[in-house]
Amino acid sequence: MTMTIPNSGQILQRYGIFIALFVMCLTLAVISENFLSTRNILNVLRQTSINGILAIGMTFVILTRGIDLSVGSVVAFAGLVAASLATTSATGMVGNGPYPALLAIAVGMAVGMACGAVSGVIVSRFHVPAFVATLGMLSAARGMALIYSGGRPIPSLTEEFRWIGTGSVGGIPVPIFLLLGTFAVAHFVLTQTRFGRHVYAVGGNPHAAKVSGLPVRRIRFTVYVIAGALAGLAGMVLAARTGSALPQAGIAYELDAIAAVVIGGTSLAGGVGRVTGTLIGALLIGVMNNGLDLMGVESYYQQVIKGVLIVAAVMLDQSKNKQD
Amino acid sequence: MTKKMLMLATAMSLVAGAGMAQDKPKIGAALYGLNAEFMQLWAAAAEAHPAVKQGLVELTIFDGRYDALVQQEQFETMITQGFDAIIFAPIDAEAGAAAVEAAVAAGIPVFGTNTMANTDKLSSYVGSDDVQSGYMEAKFLLDKIGCTGNVVIIEGPLGQSAQIQRLEGNQKALAECPDVKVLEQQTANWSRAEAQTLMENWLTVHGDTINGVIGQNDEMALGAIEAIKAAGMDPKSFAIVGIDGITDALLAVKAGDMASILQDGGAQAQGSVDLAIKAAMPEYEPMSEIWVQYPDMPWADGKGTMYMVPWTPVTLENVDALLATRQ
Repeated sequence: MTMTIPNSGQILQRYGIFIALFVMCLTLAVISENFLSTRNILNVLRQTSINGILAIGMTFVILTRGIDLSVGSVVAFAGLVAASLATTSATGMVGNGPYPALLAIAVGMAVGMACGAVSGVIVSRFHVPAFVATLGMLSAARGMALIYSGGRPIPSLTEEFRWIGTGSVGGIPVPIFLLLGTFAVAHFVLTQTRFGRHVYAVGGNPHAAKVSGLPVRRIRFTVYVIAGALAGLAGMVLAARTGSALPQAGIAYELDAIAAVVIGGTSLAGGVGRVTGTLIGALLIGVMNNGLDLMGVESYYQQVIKGVLIVAAVMLDQSKNKQD
Repeated sequence: MTKKMLMLATAMSLVAGAGMAQDKPKIGAALYGLNAEFMQLWAAAAEAHPAVKQGLVELTIFDGRYDALVQQEQFETMITQGFDAIIFAPIDAEAGAAAVEAAVAAGIPVFGTNTMANTDKLSSYVGSDDVQSGYMEAKFLLDKIGCTGNVVIIEGPLGQSAQIQRLEGNQKALAECPDVKVLEQQTANWSRAEAQTLMENWLTVHGDTINGVIGQNDEMALGAIEAIKAAGMDPKSFAIVGIDGITDALLAVKAGDMASILQDGGAQAQGSVDLAIKAAMPEYEPMSEIWVQYPDMPWADGKGTMYMVPWTPVTLENVDALLATRQ
């Protein structure tokens, strides 16, 4: 059985991205007096939570040599379905709502999982390339979001539902707990369970995995369900945070999620990577956006700087690899 | 593929047309996209026009899907099917001009609405002046903070005509208050989530030294309100303004958190439908109530070239009536 055992190169790879984040934080702390304030740190973490949750789901998919381009659309669709159960406004309400937040959240997660399951079946059973299958879902889920909502936002969500986006426990915003909770579970699953080892095996060498009798199809299928479920969760956090669910929400979110995974050192060729790296990658993007705002950098320049920094972070990673 | 669909559409219209009165004018409304609330309100108002409801004319609404090429093809369809008049909200002013010229060359009058096409071939235009709305919202905010203090501006997508014109209006009002300092000015691409992040970060830098927030649309003003709430501050201690009068903003006005300026898409729709019918039936008199509602915008026997629907500030007095229309 082929398995990837962590070696010194991978450890350095992890440190590479960690150093990049550290250097960026240090620079920002020097330039902007507000950067290290508690409130700003909580802001960065909260602003990172949605992309972080998406990126963790994306990590599972990319580890199996797949990709999920549909998560941004699923964010909108799941968010709208959950919102329709948790709105007090007559526009968009389903049945005699609002229903308890837990029910809305469960249904929203189920919608995300269903979208992921469809992509998963198409990829694992029908051997359609993940890029194509999830590109189809990107379009279909966006369309379903528009049909479901009639193209209009669903406003006035209950305070109970909004708690997952705006609430806090002990001064820490709830989205941060959701991000860290998702991270902890994903980290445990990938490092401590048989399923986790199988994910690496399928991505590292699908042929060998199949020959050694691993349930390759089922593993491929499951990672898309995981990514879908987390896209559903992210969609609900987004709706709860902004107070209304929009059919246009989440456009191009898949790109930031993929960027976080790649910056975090997970190989697009599959089999190599860690969810810890993904978390750091998402934080790097979050810190960068925050820092550019704090410094008052103009929008035009922000986009250029963001592109350069993403590529630079990955290049730093690569050079660490080569030195080893 | 497109050709096949076109033929199919033509065939279907022939079948449908055979069963109907032959002299009923056909009016097409080519809108840049139906994904957002504003254009949906526009389309709903057009379909609710008395002449359409009574079956005096046949109105077809085309979803341009935010693509200039799609709109171009829809024009070709309307020309082939011999529409009597076209109402047009182009996604792009330049690409829209070519479509207008093709229709006019085929003898079909085109009426612009909401967004401009860069051509002099339009019979007339029914819209609202974005420079004016930008001025009105900024003026309202500056009056509220007493023409002194610090403001931030959250802009639309840089380079879009609404962003350019609303900013021009913002700056015109700001020039009248030289003591007011613009601390930050950044785009949030009309998005509530992006504006929320932006405002959170600005609050970190400037804290409560920010007195006013100019959102170039309601979505972004609402994002700023959420950021202020998340920072444990009271939106009522800021002056916050937005434009469009979307449902969520009406609710926020009612709660006393912001001010908004309603862009009456419904009046733009009904006005352009009246003009299009007039072009197809010269003896027609306008049936929409908007000409009574807005005496500042005279009907002028349908011969005007520019019909500017006035902006309506949303206040505590009219917000309930406006909300009632959204149910």
